[in-house]
Amino acid sequence: MVSHIPAPDEVEIVFQPYGARKKFPAGINLWEAAKALGVDISSLCAGKGTCGKCKVKLTKGLEGLSPPGQRELKHISEDEMKVNIRLACQAKVMKSAIVFVPERSRVGKQRLQTEGMEIAVEPNPLVKKIFVKVTPPTLHDMRADEDRLLEALKETHGLSNIKVDFEVVRTLPIVLRKGNWEVTVVLWKDEIRGVEPGNTTERCFGFASDIGTTKLAGFLMDLNTGKVISLAARMNPQIPLGEDVMSRITHAMMNGWEAAVELQKAVIGGLNEIIDECCEKAKVKVEEIYELNFVGNTAMQLLFLGVWPQYAALAPYPAVVRRGMDVHANKLGLKSHPNANTHFLPVIGGFVGADNVAVVLASNMLEADDMTLAIDIGTNTEIDLGNKNGILSDSCASGPAFEGMEVRFGMRASTGAIERISIDPDSLDIFYRTIGDEKPVGICGSALVDAPAEMFKSGIINTKGAFVPEFEKRTKRIRKGPQGWEYVVAWKDETNTDTDITVTQADVRELQKAKAAMHTGAEILMRRMNVKEDDIAHLVIAGAFGNYVDPENARILGMYPEIAMDRIKFVGNIAGTGSRMSLISEEMREYAEKISKTVKYLELAVDPDFQDEYMKSFYFPHANLDRYPVTTKLLQKLGRLP
Amino acid sequence: MGVEKKEEILKKLTEAVIDGDEGKSKEGAQEALDNGIKPYEAVINGLAAGMKTVGDRYECKEYFLPDLLLSADAMYAGLNILTPHIKKSDSKSKGKVVLGVVEGDVHDIGKNIVKIMLTASGYEVVDLGRDVPTDKFIDNAEKEGAQVVAMSTLMTPTLMSMKAVEDKLKDTGMKDKVKTIVGGGPVSEDWRAKMGSDAYGRDALEAIDKVKLLMGMITTAVDTMKEELKEEEKKEEKKEQ
Repeated sequence: MVSHIPAPDEVEIVFQPYGARKKFPAGINLWEAAKALGVDISSLCAGKGTCGKCKVKLTKGLEGLSPPGQRELKHISEDEMKVNIRLACQAKVMKSAIVFVPERSRVGKQRLQTEGMEIAVEPNPLVKKIFVKVTPPTLHDMRADEDRLLEALKETHGLSNIKVDFEVVRTLPIVLRKGNWEVTVVLWKDEIRGVEPGNTTERCFGFASDIGTTKLAGFLMDLNTGKVISLAARMNPQIPLGEDVMSRITHAMMNGWEAAVELQKAVIGGLNEIIDECCEKAKVKVEEIYELNFVGNTAMQLLFLGVWPQYAALAPYPAVVRRGMDVHANKLGLKSHPNANTHFLPVIGGFVGADNVAVVLASNMLEADDMTLAIDIGTNTEIDLGNKNGILSDSCASGPAFEGMEVRFGMRASTGAIERISIDPDSLDIFYRTIGDEKPVGICGSALVDAPAEMFKSGIINTKGAFVPEFEKRTKRIRKGPQGWEYVVAWKDETNTDTDITVTQADVRELQKAKAAMHTGAEILMRRMNVKEDDIAHLVIAGAFGNYVDPENARILGMYPEIAMDRIKFVGNIAGTGSRMSLISEEMREYAEKISKTVKYLELAVDPDFQDEYMKSFYFPHANLDRYPVTTKLLQKLGRLP
Repeated sequence: MGVEKKEEILKKLTEAVIDGDEGKSKEGAQEALDNGIKPYEAVINGLAAGMKTVGDRYECKEYFLPDLLLSADAMYAGLNILTPHIKKSDSKSKGKVVLGVVEGDVHDIGKNIVKIMLTASGYEVVDLGRDVPTDKFIDNAEKEGAQVVAMSTLMTPTLMSMKAVEDKLKDTGMKDKVKTIVGGGPVSEDWRAKMGSDAYGRDALEAIDKVKLLMGMITTAVDTMKEELKEEEKKEEKKEQ
């Protein structure tokens, strides 16, 4: 056997258990190498060394790696160091190496929840296809091709004052003759955006999308029926340029227009992949898409349209443009018919964007007599409260804790993630369920609600969120680790990770911050509108994460005000629903404009009650228990409260 | 007054702060005055000592933000009663810090916590509030004769405002007279270096340590004060003998 000795400036890297191997220039980091080989190593920070999720184990060649830096040492414990664990994105390879990707660092099948509820809207899209027979020219009728077409439209459909897009004119003579003078006109409002040979009225498509900070969701829609025909989702490719909107805007501020364009190209690229996937699934050509409709927060609006974003990120956080924007798709580089219209729904303010307009639209709360409280949980959480008399909204950084970030064993909702937890209050033993019934590798959002709730119910942590040291005597699951108190959710030998999976005191603190922010956002709105829990007829919980959360546990933690269970509705990605509704209906799109003008925004951070209420909201469920009579009774029954 | 009584009152103040008990703190402060305990000593060995424990518990996450703020309320309640009685000669400033959230940002909880810990550590704090324009930092640092300018922000884009203050300090020649410390969510050691600030505090407690170093002190102001108190007591004991 000929041994492959790499050149001195080359290294061979093997990834196990996949057996993938390749030669790379020396100095490449393991994460980059894995990516190049198609080996998916999980990472939330896209290789910046901040999330600590891309841990790999060196089977051979540890000494040939760059020594761990400060950033890496933050995430690698001494025990892990002993068994040759490194952060893939930080370790540069100088000599050939064999790397084992542990289960918990593998990406696995992701659960990207994209669907929201379906709401019946009479389809009345802005794009309409009209079949028309045009009289061919003769020596006695030498009217121009364009006039001929417009007059035919007037005669047969009574349409007048129709404009024709210049691009349409350029190919019009070919299309008319190819269709043997029978063509389908694509009308957007009063403008001809396309002409197709023959009768294609049966095929009329549009694309609706929700541009999330973390996730992009897209839906290919049949504009004749108003139905979704295919859907797809991707992580937002802007993530490597900044995890949250603020760092992305800073990236633009520091590096100028080029960086703003880079951000725009990244998101458009991701959307194009989604469009391709949707079209392929549905056997539709991208050129058959004549309108695209988008929602997203205000930062996403600016970065998507390529508008300079800096000043929307500085107090007092003004939006640049509130109204809904119409742009030719080819100006943005979106895959579709080159003359397709791109619409971005109007925004409300710097921190409440078109995604929130879509939530208000789809929840119909601005038409109702009853009060609705809508909470759209994401990296940023937007909250609306109101009815037909008006809506007040605010937003809070609920942070990425419930997405698995900032939590020691946190992970996204994918295979092997613990998604449900319950604790027996007597034995303090635990029951859990994982996605795909695999051995556990980490804990995802829904169980990150269960964990503190169950620990609180069984008395392991108190109302302030602190571990109760006396419980150490009752079970081995509670112990004081090097980083303080922790509760063992899964023992090493039952996991796929080689370590005990725990919930630490620091984890509880992160989750407390997130839940307190959400609750404060709702509470301040209620106070400013003089609304009590009983006045709220509907609590609408939106966002993919909300769908999997145990509502009772969420309420015990005090993630939202104590509202009767039968008034709580989980609606999934309702922003996506709103995007679809305003794609297929002109009335809905006009209505969105009204919403954006009507909804008032409240800046939480400067509200005089903010700090005080925020601090009270840290408690489980709240410092002020008389607002939680039902939960209080339950906790009394469990012996947690006197 | 017996030593025991004095110890009891100081302990009461310390406990009041640890438990976040405002009423108890007020009571203790009044008892200290009524029993002739030096108000300065009641602050240092009573209230500040309690805050030290709170800081330690906060560091290991046993205490959290609400606990910290309740303790701060208790501390301030005691301070309000004791401070008017402190003799000028006693309260000689051990160091002054001008503190604020930089322009373009309104999030000030982090700044408020730093203020609490700085106060508890014996420094004089001039709080400029939030969304503070660049010039206001410069003007106040000069006017107050502060040794340290401390800046906070929660938002990434407003790191630029921190840099603006640094640049202005350099341009006006103030950088020779004051040191700067930065902190808040998006701030890091890398950013500190980029902006040219003198120190970065990862959290309020690290900020206190760094301020100490910036002031050129070996111990924090409150520890210095404690030492001075001990010295004084020794002197007085000698006199009595």
